[in-house]
Amino acid sequence: MPSAIIEASRIIKDYGSFRALHSVSLEVGTGEFVALVGPSGCGKTTLLKIIAGFEEPTSGELKIAGSNMDGVPAAKRPVRMVFQRLALFPHKTVRDNIGFPLKLAKTEKVEADRRVRAMLDLMHLNPSYLGRYPAQLSGGEQQRVALARALVSRPGVLLLDEPMSALDVKLKKSLQAELKNLHRNLGTSFVLVTHDLEEAMMLADRICVMRSGRVLQVGTPSEIYYRPVDTFVASFIGDTNLFPVSIANGQGGSVAFSSPIIACDSAIAPKAQCSPTIEGDRASLLVRPEAMRFVEAGNAQPFATLNGKVEEFFIKGASIQFRIRVDGHPVPVVMDLPGTPNIPAAVGADVTIGFDRSDVFLLQE
Amino acid sequence: MTDKDIRDSLPFRPLSRRSLLKGLGAGAVFSATGNMPGFSGNAQAGQSINYMCWEGYNSPSILDPFQKSNDVAISVDLITDSAGGFAKLAAGAFRDFDLVSSDCPWIARMGPAGISRFINDADFAEQYAEFYPQFRAPFAPLQFEGKATGLPTRWGWVGPTVNTKFDKLETWKSYAPVFDPAYRDKICLLDWGDWPIMPLALYAGVDPYKKLDDKELEEIRKVIRAAFKNTRAIVADLATAQKGLIDGSFRCLIGGGTYCTSSLRNTGHDYIQSIVPEPRNGMKQGIIWMEATGLIANDRDPAIASKFLKYIVSPEVAVKLAITEATCNLVPNQKAEALFTAQQKSALQMDYMWTAWDNSHFHTIAPNIDDMLAIWQQELAAR
Amino acid sequence: MRIEHKSWRDPLLIGATVPLALIMILFFVVPLIMTGILTFQSSRYYRLAWTWDLTIWRDVFGHSHYWVVMLRTLGMSLACVVLSVLIAYPVAYGLATRLGSLRHHVTILITFAFLTDTVLKTFGWILVLDQNGVLNWGLSHLGFEPGAVNILFTPTATLIGMVYNLAVYPIFTLYLSLARIDRDLQLAAYDAGASRFRTFFEVTLPLSRPGLYAGAALVFVLSLGAFLEPKVMGGGNAPMASELINQSFSTRVNWPLGAALTLVLIVIGSASLALSAALTLRRRGGEQGRLSDVG
Repeated sequence: MPSAIIEASRIIKDYGSFRALHSVSLEVGTGEFVALVGPSGCGKTTLLKIIAGFEEPTSGELKIAGSNMDGVPAAKRPVRMVFQRLALFPHKTVRDNIGFPLKLAKTEKVEADRRVRAMLDLMHLNPSYLGRYPAQLSGGEQQRVALARALVSRPGVLLLDEPMSALDVKLKKSLQAELKNLHRNLGTSFVLVTHDLEEAMMLADRICVMRSGRVLQVGTPSEIYYRPVDTFVASFIGDTNLFPVSIANGQGGSVAFSSPIIACDSAIAPKAQCSPTIEGDRASLLVRPEAMRFVEAGNAQPFATLNGKVEEFFIKGASIQFRIRVDGHPVPVVMDLPGTPNIPAAVGADVTIGFDRSDVFLLQE
Repeated sequence: MTDKDIRDSLPFRPLSRRSLLKGLGAGAVFSATGNMPGFSGNAQAGQSINYMCWEGYNSPSILDPFQKSNDVAISVDLITDSAGGFAKLAAGAFRDFDLVSSDCPWIARMGPAGISRFINDADFAEQYAEFYPQFRAPFAPLQFEGKATGLPTRWGWVGPTVNTKFDKLETWKSYAPVFDPAYRDKICLLDWGDWPIMPLALYAGVDPYKKLDDKELEEIRKVIRAAFKNTRAIVADLATAQKGLIDGSFRCLIGGGTYCTSSLRNTGHDYIQSIVPEPRNGMKQGIIWMEATGLIANDRDPAIASKFLKYIVSPEVAVKLAITEATCNLVPNQKAEALFTAQQKSALQMDYMWTAWDNSHFHTIAPNIDDMLAIWQQELAAR
Repeated sequence: MRIEHKSWRDPLLIGATVPLALIMILFFVVPLIMTGILTFQSSRYYRLAWTWDLTIWRDVFGHSHYWVVMLRTLGMSLACVVLSVLIAYPVAYGLATRLGSLRHHVTILITFAFLTDTVLKTFGWILVLDQNGVLNWGLSHLGFEPGAVNILFTPTATLIGMVYNLAVYPIFTLYLSLARIDRDLQLAAYDAGASRFRTFFEVTLPLSRPGLYAGAALVFVLSLGAFLEPKVMGGGNAPMASELINQSFSTRVNWPLGAALTLVLIVIGSASLALSAALTLRRRGGEQGRLSDVG
């Protein structure tokens, strides 16, 4: 990781008797894109506000660009924020909104105008918008103006508080792509708060998953996806399959597991495919939906198989999702297959499904 | 003012409903007359009386016994301005009222204006017989061509009101201190229409009750302007005026008299007195004011209203009318004098009343009243 | 808010607007016309005479004292607007942003004070401001000479009374405006590098303009009609328009004159409001129109 621009250590935040953050530590590297994710009320926005300077931590230390931020007001921090509801000034034109930080910094007029126009260009906004008011712009255009206002004074860190939560899917996708581009081109550190792990995985270099005021896991999207620390992190990203299993330590540090519903010749997982936090004799076996496949008699048998009945399926575009009811398992098993016009199984059909040893991960139940 | 003058000044009869509606402004006139007393709510009583009066006349101790013994319901419409009350009746409200108690000059013009009935003095001989000789029939101020428009009900005098803790009575033998720089910011003018103008005019040597020429009006303008120099406030509210008189921030109320001071005297402030200045250059300086009660000329039977008129001047009721919560005033009924306590007699300054009477003009409607009020308005605006 | 373009032939629209239009005509336009008609009559011996001439208007335009009073009323009203707004703004700002849970208690207190009879409150001021009143009593204990403050029965006292009775209107309109401002806008200003002071002038103040203007207009219009304060606290020394009109109607029983003075006051008031509205719009260009689109 490059040198850290944000160093938050053991941050605690209390609102009266309610503890919003329980000793949270996080580092953000220079030029890094970090996403804070978690369900609402997990403390991600509180952490962002503490970084921005809108909230004082109850205890703990926050350094930005090497300086302690204790008592430094928001106006004096080298960070800029894009607000969830954008917070564009309704009484100011696009020009005045974007140019506001420059005006406050007493930037020379010609230079300020040049930079506002440059931002407009960077955001693919038509210069004719300069004289318009926010209410005269579309949602996507307002978004870009908000980004432009936050970036115009070249902050070290850009904070984004769920700025795309109110947009429709298509617009969201294109803005996400632009945001990624922007980050790549500017070299500014981004900290994005979102409740959408998919968005976080698409955009961020590293993801910090939070729950109830605690950091559960910090890691690359791949680590979060394939090596979650617990079932909460594992299931936070959409559909997944978690099978409760009994475990025992096998030879060579590997773990042997068994489940009444999974047929498996040698149910042993290598240590590398086990979460280091596993304790006791019970664990959860994680198999992502795309690792599942149908097993037909005569073909090569996979590592493990399950028998069930197709409950329903959906065409998701690039893939087809099957939900298969397996006796002894409380929820349907989810399986994503590459899309094809020939649906391989009908609803109600008895099927056998399986997965490979390399696709399993054992984690604390 | 002669009878002919009065007739000349009243070249109209009350408008008939039809002629009233001819004007486009009829609605405005009706709305401006305000809340006409209704005839509702009187269902339980046999008869009803609609009564326009000054405060004091509406006291429950006066109205209740009459309502009970005569099975009649009385609805009261209080007036705060004699001219305004007259205007309201004249604009058509007279049809809705049976009785009116107001300043004597206004009652006096209601007869010739057709608003009020003339009464037959003989019918009220018993009442007149109980009055002080000065008020007995024919009582000139309420007479028009030998016919009376009503009976006098309350009276008093207008003159300097002196707080003897601060000033000697002799100081106010004349209105001169009103214009003395030593009394700067210590004079209170009462904001009661023509009342503060009249004493000032008399001090200036102009009799305001006769027809005035431009020169005399100019004298009145000068004296008003001079009085404003020392004036601390122009007060419409009796309580504020009385408070200032007691604490000495007002050394004299101009335009007031017994009406302002008797109730104070009755509640123990007997160091406050109303006096009448001595005649100045042969002109009396005091003013006698009087209220009267008349019968409205509507198309209903005046019997019950007439009965009320006899009732309101009777000695027992006159005493109640004399001593009310807000003000204390003299009454014309001589028989009532015996019913007052010594304290009440002192409050009313009965030992001084005929001195005051002898040194005063009788208040009537001045022919040039609107000119004087216009001058007042102009001088006030120019302060 | 988008306004749909509807045809005036739409029976539903006509049905929906006609009752209101009738009420407006009946209770506003008709009395105004009748007042206008009244001004062409005259008054003779306390009676209205249907003369249909310009006597009254000649009187009104021929005498400067009416205009002295009108101008004084205008001046007092403007002073009252400025003072009321200056006092109301911090109060409303505190209510909207600072007081937290105390807010409701303070709001209830202000409402109670507002609902207390104005006559009572105004007379109460006499006891405070009098030469031997509460204020001077307090000052004398602080070592001032007796009667140090002698402002009762002066225009200053009138102004105190007017501001006291009217400041509550901008408090409420400003409170509503300030409470509606998204807190994030202030945070966004801080974030952009603005001090609290700067944020107030760049964001809070401009966005509270609707409440500011509404409050100021209310105070202005009500000030023009102030009657009690100049009479009771001003001691009748510097009468304002309503006193002049009341004198004309009630003491002089000259309804045509009263009606004419009423119209003059209405015209002065409307013209002042229109002028300030025009100036405001011009200074701010098209922004006003834009703002109405927001939200």
